[in-house]
Amino acid sequence: MIDEMLQALLRALSFGTPLLLACLGALVNERAGVVNLGVEGMMALGALTAFGVATETESLGLAVALSLVAGALAALLHGFVTLTLRANAYVSGLALTMLGLGVSGLLGNRYEGAILMEPAPELPFTVAAGVLAVGLWAFLYATRPGLVLRSVGENPAAADVLGVSVAGVRYLAVAVGGALAGLAGAFLSLAYRPAWTDGMTAGLGWIAVALVIFVGWSPPRAVLGSVFFGLLYYLQFRLQDQSRVPTELFAAMPYLLVVGVLALAGLRRTQGSAPASLGKPYHRGER
Amino acid sequence: MKSPVMWLVLLALGLAGSARADEAKLKACFIYVGPVGDIGWSHAHDEARKLTMKALPWLETQYVESVPEGQALPVIDRLVKGGCQVVLTTSFGFMDQTLEAARKYPKVVFAHATGFKRAPNMATYMADFYQIYYLNGLMAGALTKSGKVGYVGAFPIPELKRHISAFALGVRAVNPQATVNVKWISAWVSPVKAREAAEALMAEGNDVLAFTEDTATVVQVAGRKKVPAFGHYSSMQRFAPDYVVSGQLVHWEKIYIDFLSKVRDGTYAPGKLQDVDYWWLLREGAVEMGGQPGVPINPKFVDALKKAQMTVGGKQVSVYDRVQELLKDMSSSKPGFDPFTGPIQDRHGATRVPAGKTLTKEELNQMQWVAPGVTGPVADEPK
Repeated sequence: MIDEMLQALLRALSFGTPLLLACLGALVNERAGVVNLGVEGMMALGALTAFGVATETESLGLAVALSLVAGALAALLHGFVTLTLRANAYVSGLALTMLGLGVSGLLGNRYEGAILMEPAPELPFTVAAGVLAVGLWAFLYATRPGLVLRSVGENPAAADVLGVSVAGVRYLAVAVGGALAGLAGAFLSLAYRPAWTDGMTAGLGWIAVALVIFVGWSPPRAVLGSVFFGLLYYLQFRLQDQSRVPTELFAAMPYLLVVGVLALAGLRRTQGSAPASLGKPYHRGER
Repeated sequence: MKSPVMWLVLLALGLAGSARADEAKLKACFIYVGPVGDIGWSHAHDEARKLTMKALPWLETQYVESVPEGQALPVIDRLVKGGCQVVLTTSFGFMDQTLEAARKYPKVVFAHATGFKRAPNMATYMADFYQIYYLNGLMAGALTKSGKVGYVGAFPIPELKRHISAFALGVRAVNPQATVNVKWISAWVSPVKAREAAEALMAEGNDVLAFTEDTATVVQVAGRKKVPAFGHYSSMQRFAPDYVVSGQLVHWEKIYIDFLSKVRDGTYAPGKLQDVDYWWLLREGAVEMGGQPGVPINPKFVDALKKAQMTVGGKQVSVYDRVQELLKDMSSSKPGFDPFTGPIQDRHGATRVPAGKTLTKEELNQMQWVAPGVTGPVADEPK
């Protein structure tokens, strides 16, 4: 019994690691008020970059570093389209997902079926994700730049009046969000399943997007939430044919829970704990 | 000489040229559902296409990859306009559109992989693994210490039920108490699901793994945990050299070479294909047992399989010898053994194959029941 619970916890931590990384990334850019639904696409790009670099150079460090860069660059594209060109962020994010999945599938063709001779261990990623969560929490609530980031998401006009570059902060936050999504992808292709397959992100990016809402944009709760979602994912297989509840329900649970959270927030006529200006474009002089 | 005469001369030359080319070459076109770079299904068909080209110097080929299952018809239109004399569609979902195209182009030869609908100018073909799954089942039954063998399945369709059942019959022939525990992932390609399904199976005590889905994930996960596993479809031994016992490998080129040669010599012309249905197995070399070509059983497992004993017709034989004997028999021109020879009951006790009978190709193709020893939910199973 103890063994079983330990095993389940280990699976939850393993599967929860990419969720937590991507979720923290999305949390950063959403705290700055920018919605980016392109997490899945950025993850795929990060996964391919990491795998390609690791295969060509045999350097895991470089592979991880460049996955961060790939994710950040993809996110900056989203930033440019939404922050500078003022396009609809939801449409742009969806386009980024399709672009990321398509481009990684195309460029990844030559790596299909290749093996990483020296796969990365999972533990450093898991530890890093945990440390990042704590660090981000401290940053948001105990530092001045953290306060600036939050104020840009809550009330960009006020931040602007105080001399904060709203666009600058948002660009930076978007880039960090993309980098972390790229890192989540690197975990998948270097450690979780050290190989490349088209579509290997398998909807994890979307679960991460849902997770941000579920945990109410809070880093400590993101840790608990990702472990919880990881556990649900594992249980859909572990309990197949062993529970009276259809296990497909476990797979659907992250989304059902998010719908539940949103509905509750709606009933209370609040946005829940979402940043007040989330998804609202800000341009000086307009309202 | 800017006159109609010049154009006529050029046209005549052109026609003569193309007529000569038609005589010399046969153009066969392939439609794949996935990218040729996947390591699974479409990749195998494309490798076979290349081998067929090598074997048949008069053959010209063209392929279109990643064709969605609803989009075959416009692609076929384009290929036929481009001069394809033979069109081969390689996914079950292309079946109805291939049939439609066959009616639309009665002079073109069509062949559809894995389907059951034919026309005067449309044949069907399949390379099937059920015999090899049985042999792999024998080995799995010998290697499991816990008596629990795990199986990661994509979808509960007849093909997988046939494979899982053959596998389970093999496992139980060695170890009558053993179970084959199935987890479904409802996807052909999803490494994430395959990994968690494999992890869950190992957490439940399954100490040998097999699977039917399109990635090498199960082999990789098993290798990390030092659990023996069986490769599927392509060469997967390299993913876990010490833990892949054996597996299933496909050789579509055997079918392609035979079919296209017969199209060229006129044996298979439009009008003669209504009953042409390839169902090629070990005997025809369309499939091979092993984790990589030329290695039927990983040498690392030979000793263990030689030590393991099973009872065949009242006599004790080693599992290794039994596997070799059956492999030889089923690869021969007149196989005497078939895994689906009765009496066989399904897992609820209903007799599915009476004593002395062997399942026909049609029955195998429509199989909805599963063999005893299989645990887990199985959709569309007759009660």
